[in-house]
Amino acid sequence: MLSIKNLHASVEGKEILKGINLEIKAGEVHAIMGPNGSGKSTLSQVLAGNDAFEVTSGEVTLNGENLLEKETEERAREGVFLAFQYPVEIPGVSNLQFMRTAVNAMRHHKGEPEMNAAEFMKLAREVSKQVDLDPAFLKRGVNEGFSGGEKKRNEIMQALLLQPKLAILDETDSGLDIDALKVVSDGVNALRAQDRAILMVTHYQRLLDHIVPDYVHVLADGKIVKSGGRELALELEERGYGWLGIKEDATEASSAN
Amino acid sequence: MKPAPTLLPTAFLHPAGQALPEPLLALRKQRGAALVDMPLPTRKTENWKYSSKHLKLTDEMAISLPIDGKAGSALAVPGYKVVFINGVMIPEASEYPDLNNILIQRFGDLSDAEASELAGQLDSTLDKNTVQLAGLNSARFEDGLVIRLKAGAVLDQPLFIIHEITAGASGSAFPRIFVDAGTNSQITLVEEYISSGQDAVMVNTVTEFNLAEGANVTSIRLCMDGENVQHVGATGVRQQRSSRFESHCVGFGGPLRRHDLQVSLEGEGAECKLNGVVVTQGTQHYDNHTNIEHVAAHCDSEETYRNIATDKSHAVFNGRIHIHQDAQKSNANMNNNNLLLSTGAEIDTKPELEIYADDVKCAHGATIGQLDEESLFYLVSRGIGRREANVLLTMAFINELVAQIPLEVVRDTVQVRLNHFFDQSFQGI
Repeated sequence: MLSIKNLHASVEGKEILKGINLEIKAGEVHAIMGPNGSGKSTLSQVLAGNDAFEVTSGEVTLNGENLLEKETEERAREGVFLAFQYPVEIPGVSNLQFMRTAVNAMRHHKGEPEMNAAEFMKLAREVSKQVDLDPAFLKRGVNEGFSGGEKKRNEIMQALLLQPKLAILDETDSGLDIDALKVVSDGVNALRAQDRAILMVTHYQRLLDHIVPDYVHVLADGKIVKSGGRELALELEERGYGWLGIKEDATEASSAN
Repeated sequence: MKPAPTLLPTAFLHPAGQALPEPLLALRKQRGAALVDMPLPTRKTENWKYSSKHLKLTDEMAISLPIDGKAGSALAVPGYKVVFINGVMIPEASEYPDLNNILIQRFGDLSDAEASELAGQLDSTLDKNTVQLAGLNSARFEDGLVIRLKAGAVLDQPLFIIHEITAGASGSAFPRIFVDAGTNSQITLVEEYISSGQDAVMVNTVTEFNLAEGANVTSIRLCMDGENVQHVGATGVRQQRSSRFESHCVGFGGPLRRHDLQVSLEGEGAECKLNGVVVTQGTQHYDNHTNIEHVAAHCDSEETYRNIATDKSHAVFNGRIHIHQDAQKSNANMNNNNLLLSTGAEIDTKPELEIYADDVKCAHGATIGQLDEESLFYLVSRGIGRREANVLLTMAFINELVAQIPLEVVRDTVQVRLNHFFDQSFQGI
């Protein structure tokens, strides 16, 4: 489904991704782990189409189509979803209005009729229950005054509403207590499907206790230095990154994360 | 040698329309005499420095617009309605109740005694020295509406005053409104300024509110005049003890839009809330000057104005708060937030606080910014189109103020105009 070949990307002239190669098939869950500053978030942002990052070489295809030449919104409509590490607060736009606009943009793209306010409200209430988010949050400004955990659950709620082909979860576990982690993980597990690929970016392996990946990759200094199965995450947990010859906290690039 | 000041073109000194009671004609004449040597504001006039160059008064424009008998656009409003065409009230197009405790009268219908009382009250709410062109209205009004609410009177529905310009030629209109809200009375007044026609016109308005103890007045002012209309308007408010005045001004730009809003809190416990939204595009210009006088102690004022400017347009906000020496325990809060949608647009904002009492809370804040790139990325990353994302974020900037307008029909009218603005502003996106 997703094919990344020799991807290089930089921000403000500084190269962050230095040749990423990755293949993800439909139905698979991949985890990318690595120390701070290794380029994990950059990879997520580049895939979603944030033009603050410049792709200098390489190619990315989604179901055979060149992803890099598409605008952010086109990527989203064709099934790319990024759960943000730091979801943006947008006071003045209600969460409900935001989500309905997004869902209708997607439906419009697929040639389906738009959902009216009442239809969407019904759907949104159901999905909010699934991520244990009080429906009162729908009326609030997008992420406005949400706690860290509420923001993350709001991201998963959007993924459940938009039903992407490729869900990229950027540090979705960070800042969650164990109960919230469980809720978020249940949401992600509900997303697992034969026709969907999931790419999880995480610093810690504890998320992987709840969402068991098919593959684990270690990213260091802009490259994937090791790939393996689930057991690789456990080994990293036990031994840290040092045995792979990786310095923890490559602070020189951490500002990009 | 100091250059001679520019004066009003002399044609402006000749009022038309004599169908007014004698005391009002006498007042006009007296105010007209003061205009003869009144210098027009220039860029050196502090409160007109950004706007004087947009004030274009010619002899041709001084002519009172003809009253052509048109009834204006038929606007359905959920309430009472008074229609002014080219500055003159059209009774046939107006619908308002005939009540004992609420008198709604056009100036021409007043008895000499009533007109004399009114003449003593007109101009009492505005500072002549800072609202220079209000005097022009006083010298030139041809018609007007006076609303007197007796003690305890409550107008059960909002009163819409539709000011329409149906010009077929250049000229001016000088509509005048005076509201005398008695003790514990209550009214919601909507002033809507609209035009049909493309001629160069000046609309020079004055609206005054006199609030007695405990009176509660909500004023909504929609400045939606046509493309070629210079609008120079003033609103004056005096408030006695425990009265409450709430104002919602929404304006769209033009060659010149100027609104002076002056509120004087003269009795303890009086409270005002002033909201404003301004949207400008093209080469439009909009200038809001507000002045809140905290004269008495224990009064509250809350002011929030937001400007959105795009293309090469220019918006100005000047907010003055003057806390007098005896106005202890005043609570004043002023905010002005500005959104620039293009690099060619300009917004000038200036808070002016003058505080002479030592036990007050007085805060102000001003911001100028652009649409947030991170927010835009977040929205488009969910499949929302760029144009729609821009609209959502721009609306987000003013939603809070639009939502506070207490009448749905007005919110809808504003939204239609905003949508039109978005269509033009974001068409290339």
